Amino acid sequence: MPISFRTFCETIQVIRGTRSTNTKIGLFAQLLQQIDEPWELKLAAQFAGEGAFDEISGKRASVGSRTSGLAAANFCEIDYDYVFKPCRTATGSSSEAIEKLMENISAAIKKRSPKELSLTDIQQIFEDLRAARNRSDKEIILQEAWKKMTPVEIKYFIRILGQGSLRIGFETRSVVASIAKAFSKNFEDVRYAHMITGSIGKTALLASQNRLNDAEFRLFHPLSFMLASPIESRMIEHPEYYLAEEKFDGMRAQVHVSGNSVQIFSRDLNDITRSFPEIIDFFRQRDMPPTVLDGEICVYKNDTILPFQLLQKRMGLKKPGKKILQEYPVLYIAYDLLYSGNEPVFDLTLIKRSELLKKIAAKYNLAVASQYEISGEEDINYLFEQALKHGNEGLMLKRKNSKYEYGQRRKSWLKVKKPGGSFDAVIMYAHAGSGKRGGTYSDFTLGISVKNDERYEEEFIPIGKAYCGYTDDELKKLNDRISELAVERYGPTLGLLPKLVVEIEFDDVQVNKRTKAGYTLRLPRFKAIRWDLGPNDINTLKDVEKYYQNKLQQERLPQDQNPSFSFH
Amino acid sequence: MNIQKAGYHGLYFPELKIALDGYHPDADFVFISHAHADHMPRNRSASVHATPATLGLMELRGFRGRSNPINFHETLDTGRCTVCFFPAGHILGSAMIHIESDSGTLLYTGDYRTPPSPASEGFAAPESVDYLITEATFSLPIYKWKSHEELAEEIRNFAKDSLEDEHTPVFLAYNLGKAQEIMHMLASLGYPMMIHGAGYKLCSVYEKFGYDLGNYSAYDRATCEGNILITPASALSNGFASNVSKKRIAYCSGWAALESRQTQLTVDKLIPLSDHLDFFELIGFCQRLSPKKVFITHTPNPDVVQHYLQKSGIDASFLQLEAPSEE
Repeated sequence: MPISFRTFCETIQVIRGTRSTNTKIGLFAQLLQQIDEPWELKLAAQFAGEGAFDEISGKRASVGSRTSGLAAANFCEIDYDYVFKPCRTATGSSSEAIEKLMENISAAIKKRSPKELSLTDIQQIFEDLRAARNRSDKEIILQEAWKKMTPVEIKYFIRILGQGSLRIGFETRSVVASIAKAFSKNFEDVRYAHMITGSIGKTALLASQNRLNDAEFRLFHPLSFMLASPIESRMIEHPEYYLAEEKFDGMRAQVHVSGNSVQIFSRDLNDITRSFPEIIDFFRQRDMPPTVLDGEICVYKNDTILPFQLLQKRMGLKKPGKKILQEYPVLYIAYDLLYSGNEPVFDLTLIKRSELLKKIAAKYNLAVASQYEISGEEDINYLFEQALKHGNEGLMLKRKNSKYEYGQRRKSWLKVKKPGGSFDAVIMYAHAGSGKRGGTYSDFTLGISVKNDERYEEEFIPIGKAYCGYTDDELKKLNDRISELAVERYGPTLGLLPKLVVEIEFDDVQVNKRTKAGYTLRLPRFKAIRWDLGPNDINTLKDVEKYYQNKLQQERLPQDQNPSFSFH
Repeated sequence: MNIQKAGYHGLYFPELKIALDGYHPDADFVFISHAHADHMPRNRSASVHATPATLGLMELRGFRGRSNPINFHETLDTGRCTVCFFPAGHILGSAMIHIESDSGTLLYTGDYRTPPSPASEGFAAPESVDYLITEATFSLPIYKWKSHEELAEEIRNFAKDSLEDEHTPVFLAYNLGKAQEIMHMLASLGYPMMIHGAGYKLCSVYEKFGYDLGNYSAYDRATCEGNILITPASALSNGFASNVSKKRIAYCSGWAALESRQTQLTVDKLIPLSDHLDFFELIGFCQRLSPKKVFITHTPNPDVVQHYLQKSGIDASFLQLEAPSEE
C-alpha cells in the first residue's frame, strides 16, 4: 500500500513530539514497513533523512526562505513585513509560522482543500520547483501545491525543500536505524551501504530488497569525510595506540583520480576541481590507476606552508588567473587512502592504509603527511610545538587500528589545537534565535572600540557575531538584562546600549573588506560574560589589527628539516 | 486623555487622580485588576480597591495595605469619575476596569480571556467605549486557541494515560490561575493531586468562592509519586519531584503553542492553555467595542495589532509601560 504524504507528515509530527529515540526509530520503521512501492520507499527515507533530492545528485530546488515566506504571506493575504516577519521571529521558524498561519487565517483555510497526495506527487512538485526559473514562477508552484495540503504537510514540505534537517530530533543516524529495524538488517550493514551510496533513499531500497551487498563505492562520487574530536587531555591512555600528524593550516579535500580524470571535493562534498588547476595537472602527469585520497590543500611557496588566510584568496575562484596562481601556489598533501587497486580500502586499519599510501606515494611522487609514533605527553608537546613552528594549526592523533569512519566524528581521530585568541567586546545587537532557541535572544553582534580611532565617527563597530559558548542560565540572565538595555528594534533585532561586556574567543582573525572593521573573527564564541567590566575596558580595532599582522608575519619554519610532509 | 506610568508598570490618570495596577503618590484611588505580580502594586502598604477574590489572593501573596472590596458591576463614584468592574475571565477575581468621566468612557482590560476561564467569574464587557486600553500578550495570528472543552480533555487524557502507564503526570503551570484552572479541569477524575507550595496556599480562596479543585494536598517530595503534580516550570530545575524517575511532563501555557518550548523545557507534551485571549479574539473584541482609540499594552508586537485595527478603521497606538516579558 502506498502511503500518502499526509500520513508521512503526521508520523513525522508524532516523532517530533516523542522524546525517546528508540520510540522515534520504531515509529519511522513502522511507516517504512507499510510502503510496498520501491520508489515511494526511497522517497520516504530520502525526505526524512536528506531532503527533496538525493544529496549526491547535487540537485537543489533553490527555494529560499524569503520565497516561501512571500508565497505564504500572499496565500494568507497578510502583509509580509508587518505580519509575517514578526510571526517568524516569535516561532523562530519560518515553516512553523507558515503552518500556524495556514491553520488559523480564514483566507488560507478557504483556499485549501487537502487532497491525498502521494510521495511521488510531492517529488514531482520538487522537480517543478527546480525547473522554475524565477521567484514568481516558484511562488505560483508553491501556492498551487499548498492548496492541496494540510498545514502540517505544508510545514514539512518546506523543511524537506530546505534540503537539511527536519528539526524533529531525528537525524540521519536514526533514519539508518529505522531502516535496519524495518527490514531486520544489521545496523552496521545499513550504515555501510548508506556511506557507500551516499543516499539514504537508495539505502532503504537496497535494505528492503535484501540487496545491501550491492552497495558499492564509486569513483568520482565523494565519500563523507572522517572527522576528528577535540582532545580532552594530552595525558591520553595508551599513546602507543596512536600516530601523530601535523594539522595543516589548509583546506580539507578529497581527490579522486584515474588516469587523465581528476576531481577534487571539499569538506561539504562540493566539486571544487576547477579552482585548483595545478593540482589537476599534478595528478594528470602521474597517470595513476583509480585512487581516492584524503588530504589537505595548502598554499606552499619557498618550501613553506603559508597561512590559511592566503588560501582564502583561492577559494571560490572558479578560474584563477595567472597572477593568483603564481602568487598563491597550492600543494596537495595526502594523509589517507580510501580507494586503491580497484577496491575501497577504508575498512583496513590506519596502519595498513598508511603503508599502501606510502607505496603509492613513492611510485607516483606524491606529498604525504609525516607520521610519528608517540609515547606520552612529552612527545605530544614536542610535536605540537614543531607543528606550530611550521605554521600549522596543531596536531592530529590517529588511532592505529581504526578504520576510516566516513561521515563520523568519533574518538579515533583526536585534534590538538592551540587555543584561539580572545578579545573583550561589547554586545551591540541581540538577535532572536531560531529553531530550539526560538523566542529568546541568542545571537549577539559584538563590537570593539574605535573611540580613539580617527578613521571612525562611531564609538564601537561590529567585529563578529557569536551564538554559543554560554550556558542556559547565562543566556537567561543576558535576556533579562537585554530587555533593560534595548533602545531600538529592527524586527527580530534589538539595538542595545553598549554596556554588556563579553570575553569572546575565536580561532582566527580574517580580513573581510565588506565589514566596517575590515576584519572578522573565525568561529567567535562566548568565553565569559564580564559583568565586572564596562565598555571602556574593551579591546580596540588596533588590537585586532595587531593580532592579524602578528599572525601573518609569524615566522614559519621552512620544510627542510623535520618536515610536516614529504615526497616519497 | 493624559496617561502616565505608575509604579512598576501601572497607569496613572492625572486629571482623574486614579491609578490602575500600580501605586502613584498623587492618586486618590488605586484600582487593581487582578492578583498577578505584574499587576499588583509594588508598594505593599498602599490602599487599593479590587474585587474581594483579588484582595483575598493579594493578602496571601504578601499585600499588607488597606483593602477596599468592590464587587463586579458595582459602581464607585470618586468625585472625578465613576468606576465599575467587569469580570475579565482571566483568573479568579480578575476585572476589567470601566471608567466614566467628562472625557468619555474608558475600559482598561487588565489581563483578560474570552471565552472566560472555567475557573473565573466569567466574562462581561460594556457594549461600546470611547477609549480602550487593552493588553495584547498573544498579538500574532499564529496564536489561535482550541476551546476549553478540548483543552480540558487533553489535560485529563494526559493525566489518565500517564497514570495508566505507571508514570507520574506533572503539569507545569503558573501557580496562580493556571494551576487552579487545571485542578478544576481534573477535579472530576477524582485522582489525588499535589500542588507546589506557592500555589497551594492560594487554593483556599478558590474554594471559598465555590470552585471545585478536586482531591488535592500540598506537594510532599517523599510521597508525591503516583499523584498528579502541578508546579511552576522553574521548580522543576530546583529538584521538584527529582526523586520520581518515571514521570511525564506537560507544559500548560499560551506559549506552549510554540514547538521550540518542548526542547527548551524538555517536556513530553505542550498544552496551549492560555489565560489570555488569542489574536483573533483580541481583534474581534476591539472591533465589537469600536472605540475612538485603542491603546495597546503588554505586548512584544504592538505593530501587528495596530496594523490590523487600522485596516478596520480603528485608531490605535502603543502604550509602552514595560519591557515585553513572558506570561
